[in-house]
Amino acid sequence: MKYVTKLLKGNEAIGEGAILAGCRYYFGYPITPQNEIPEYMSRNLPAVGGTFVQSESELAAINLVMGAAAAGGRAMTSSSSPGVSLMQEGISYMAGMEVPAVVVNVVRGGPGLGGIGPAQSDYFQATKGGGHGDYFTLCLAPSTAQEMLDLTILAFDIADRYRCVTIILADGLLGQMAESVEVPLDYKPREYKKDWIMDGCKGRPPRIVRSLFLDPAELEKHNFHLSEKYREICKKEVRFERFKTRDADIVLVAYGTSARICKAVVEMARADGLKLGLLRPVTLYPFPEKEIRKTAERAKALLVVELSMGQMVQDVKRAVGDACPVLFKGRTGGMVFTPEEVYQSVKKIKIKDEG
Amino acid sequence: MIQEIKIAGFGGQGVILAGEILGKAATIYDGKFATLTHSYGPEARGGACGAQIIISDEKIAYPYVIRPDILVVMSQEAYEKYVPELKKGGLLILEQELVSPGNNPDIKTFSIPATRMAEELGSRIVLNIVMLGFLTAISRIASYDGMAGAIRETVPKGMEYININAFDKGYQFGLGQVKQAFANGK
Repeated sequence: MKYVTKLLKGNEAIGEGAILAGCRYYFGYPITPQNEIPEYMSRNLPAVGGTFVQSESELAAINLVMGAAAAGGRAMTSSSSPGVSLMQEGISYMAGMEVPAVVVNVVRGGPGLGGIGPAQSDYFQATKGGGHGDYFTLCLAPSTAQEMLDLTILAFDIADRYRCVTIILADGLLGQMAESVEVPLDYKPREYKKDWIMDGCKGRPPRIVRSLFLDPAELEKHNFHLSEKYREICKKEVRFERFKTRDADIVLVAYGTSARICKAVVEMARADGLKLGLLRPVTLYPFPEKEIRKTAERAKALLVVELSMGQMVQDVKRAVGDACPVLFKGRTGGMVFTPEEVYQSVKKIKIKDEG
Repeated sequence: MIQEIKIAGFGGQGVILAGEILGKAATIYDGKFATLTHSYGPEARGGACGAQIIISDEKIAYPYVIRPDILVVMSQEAYEKYVPELKKGGLLILEQELVSPGNNPDIKTFSIPATRMAEELGSRIVLNIVMLGFLTAISRIASYDGMAGAIRETVPKGMEYININAFDKGYQFGLGQVKQAFANGK
């Protein structure tokens, strides 16, 4: 495949990825720090025959996505933390209806309206369902502008493959920083057979796409089916990156912006002769539990580094059990640690030597 | 080789655009890696405003500038605020008529009347491009051709000529300063 190098903001890379993936329907309501996404889509969707609507609210945006996707289109919305909270009802409905879509959350500090600085405090919402009911959303965590593009394409494929909602969990730094991106020139989006969509029932029996099941037995059966699907996702879709973990005594666990800062920390430590590594989950749901457990069995300690007061660290602790100590370093509210600051925390870790 | 650059001034001077052009020259034309982040005050025009660029031969992990190797300032406020951050032995580039610098013995300082030169070219708004030409000649942070290419693809259609001209004016002025500095044994 041929590529062209562009200097893109992470938000623009998401837009570029979405259009490459065949997304032709975008609905959204403005909020910082993700406004470059609707800006990009409004500029570029009409040229490829797509539809851009700036809706009257986030509720309208997610319901427009639901409609377009139920009719078989590839549809996306994007927002930032408070806006994504408003969309949870629609996301839960889509999970129940098994309508595939991509929802981008360029996370800002919370709770409430919070601020506009980068944060990772929506981890729980993005990985544990977010709305009401027995469901999960698949969650991808890009760490570079390149991944903002690549994982957006992947998000549409995964959404269609499993008929699920896929969340892209970025943050204000990844969204607004510009970086070089290799953009594929002749990318052909994958096609998925959609024998369930609402595309007119002339000449065939009508179809129903719904999340309402008043008979408890029927709803239980439906939830068993969803649950089976999530089990399959957990088996097949785990993604992660290892960075110098092979001989590492201490392993950092971080995703997104924190992970790229941690890479700089690993280089600093290695230059000093300290055996430090990084395990970076790329999918947050499904969570790379087995990989983290394996890493914990070899390492002497794990340090989880997040732009929150400690959310992913709970999943890491659950995966590690008593295999090794799990420590935590967090900043919040839009404050971002420097590599030096994280390195100081690493240096304070006391490792017990066996024997 | 990794270099941290900060360009700062007030809103309306084209600070962010200058950063974008430098980033494009480094990545698209010179084949390096770059990250570009920016900050601005609450006002669009007149408020403090800065672009931070990191240019490297390798992938960049931490994208914020901590201690710039090169600082380009186009306002007194930006000068006061950012000069303490500049690396020892670093390069300071000034808009001559908008900034009066203090005594900085550990820093290499070069200055250019970019706004006046832009006015002489017929358009004050190309002052950022004059600055970029000057920066390129003095620092060699990006190639001449790379910068020219990035300017052509970034500025509005029909404005290419005046912008390339502005870039070249700044560049030639910079070459003159470098020669003079050599002659003075700096």
